[in-house]
Amino acid sequence: MRKSPLQIAGLTLASLAIVVFSLFPVWVMVTRAFDPGAGSGRRSVIPSGFSLEHFVTVLERSSFPTYLMNSLVVALVTVVASGLLALFAAVAVARFRFSGRTKILMMILIIQMIPIEALVIPLFLQAKTLGLLNSLLGLSVIYIAFSLSFAIWTLRGFVAGIPVELEEAAYLDGASWWQMFWRVLFPLVAPGLVAVSVFSFILAWNEFIFALTFMSDGDKYTAAVGLRTFFTRGGTDWGSVMAASTLITMPVLLFFVAVQSRLSSGLMSGATKG
Amino acid sequence: MSAPSLGSARRPWWLLAPTLLVLGVLLLWPIVRVVVLSLQDFGLRELVRGGAEFIALDNYVAVLTNERLWRIALPNTVVFAAACVVLTVVVGTLIALVLHQLSGVWRTLVTMAIMAAWAVPAVTGTYVWVYLFDAREGFLTGLLAQAGLIDLATQNLFSDRGWFYAIATLNVVHHGFPFVAVTVLAGLTTIPQELHEAAMIDGATAWQRFRQITLPLLKPVFAIVTILSTIWDFKVFTQIYLMPGGDGANRSVLNLGTWSYVTAMSQNNYGMGAAIAVLLTLLLLAVTVIYLRTLFREEEL
Repeated sequence: MRKSPLQIAGLTLASLAIVVFSLFPVWVMVTRAFDPGAGSGRRSVIPSGFSLEHFVTVLERSSFPTYLMNSLVVALVTVVASGLLALFAAVAVARFRFSGRTKILMMILIIQMIPIEALVIPLFLQAKTLGLLNSLLGLSVIYIAFSLSFAIWTLRGFVAGIPVELEEAAYLDGASWWQMFWRVLFPLVAPGLVAVSVFSFILAWNEFIFALTFMSDGDKYTAAVGLRTFFTRGGTDWGSVMAASTLITMPVLLFFVAVQSRLSSGLMSGATKG
Repeated sequence: MSAPSLGSARRPWWLLAPTLLVLGVLLLWPIVRVVVLSLQDFGLRELVRGGAEFIALDNYVAVLTNERLWRIALPNTVVFAAACVVLTVVVGTLIALVLHQLSGVWRTLVTMAIMAAWAVPAVTGTYVWVYLFDAREGFLTGLLAQAGLIDLATQNLFSDRGWFYAIATLNVVHHGFPFVAVTVLAGLTTIPQELHEAAMIDGATAWQRFRQITLPLLKPVFAIVTILSTIWDFKVFTQIYLMPGGDGANRSVLNLGTWSYVTAMSQNNYGMGAAIAVLLTLLLLAVTVIYLRTLFREEEL
């Protein structure tokens, strides 16, 4: 259908409005991070200059690099462990027929609907009893549990899509089941593993409430929790907050742009919201 | 099926074992535990020494007879969630309709912008909105003052319950609309163009076409985005907790999530905190079930 000039003008205007509205917080965050005037009381969204001083403060005169490192460790442990566990489980439910299979699949689906916020109190008490507070591993284990459900359901589809004939060919060549698993299944589900890894990375990287509850030692803060250290009784160092926020946001932003085409082509699962 | 090797009857269970262990210990057991806790008098003493006394429904009675629930936490949760869901779905749908009309560079540009809005973590996004409404330096506070809506000399936006939640709504809608837009857009692409063309020939306006064609055909899609948005917006925690006063310092802005957390973690009343958490979960369940039932009932007609 042809559009009239009036319609085109309207659409362009609407598009511009959407772009401005969508990018407004990112714009404010990034420009303030590079703006030497941030924190000086200037009410404007136009930067007053360019400097790296806030990044220098954050990276050299604060504990933020430690927090970033903690977040990275937790996220990587989560990605690797939940990817592997989910792949094993996905193979089990996609490649084997056994009694209880449907029940387990349903249980995994229902578990995803539990509001994890409701589990903070019991998990805190459990972790305290087990001595897992202030442990990066303890926090990772929680994130593994939260990301498993989505990961299993996603990988299940990828595993089911691999022709059984490929497996049988491996057996004919004398491969054992584990050899077949690592040499045939694993490489073929790699794209699925990438998608699942991005999801669990973002979950672990962004999570706040458990990181806040479990990590009381200053040197064990994750980046999301460590941001709070820039808010002091004496006032807020907004330049540092924005520089640190930019550092936290960038990896997630890059991941989103990278999987953008997948998401916008209609992945209808609702699991990607923080 | 496949799997010719011996011992394969037990193999799926070996493969599932680690997952079932993790889910059982970290999700199923805590669910049981939170319910048990809500029936116990569990405070700092019990945390240190172990053992806790069962007090039946006393925690629930304490919560349900508490003025703070009816005057503050429940209205803050329900009204806020309702406003967020309506705004998120309306804004998301409008943007999806615009996106559907676009092609080429504009479509890529707008999609990227939406993705960027989606990608901003709740924590950093909240700090940016707090900054924009900061009393001393906030750009949007400045605009509000210029418009004569607030008096900067006497008013701190965050200490006022209405303004606090207005800002939180803006934050949550901004964080949530991309999901709705992307999902509705995916639905829109499944509607045959011929339907719209035929309706246009019959003289239908854009609004009529939306009401008569888009809305009925995309009902399942709208159901999904509404249910998911409702679930998310009822249990908003981070975006409230990180705003000034949201961590319990300002009692008038507590919602069910932050009230539960503050009761347990700051006041060490784990039993009552658990009871609030259970009530929040039951509320979520009830809302979801009501949605699903209305949906299926209408389907039968």
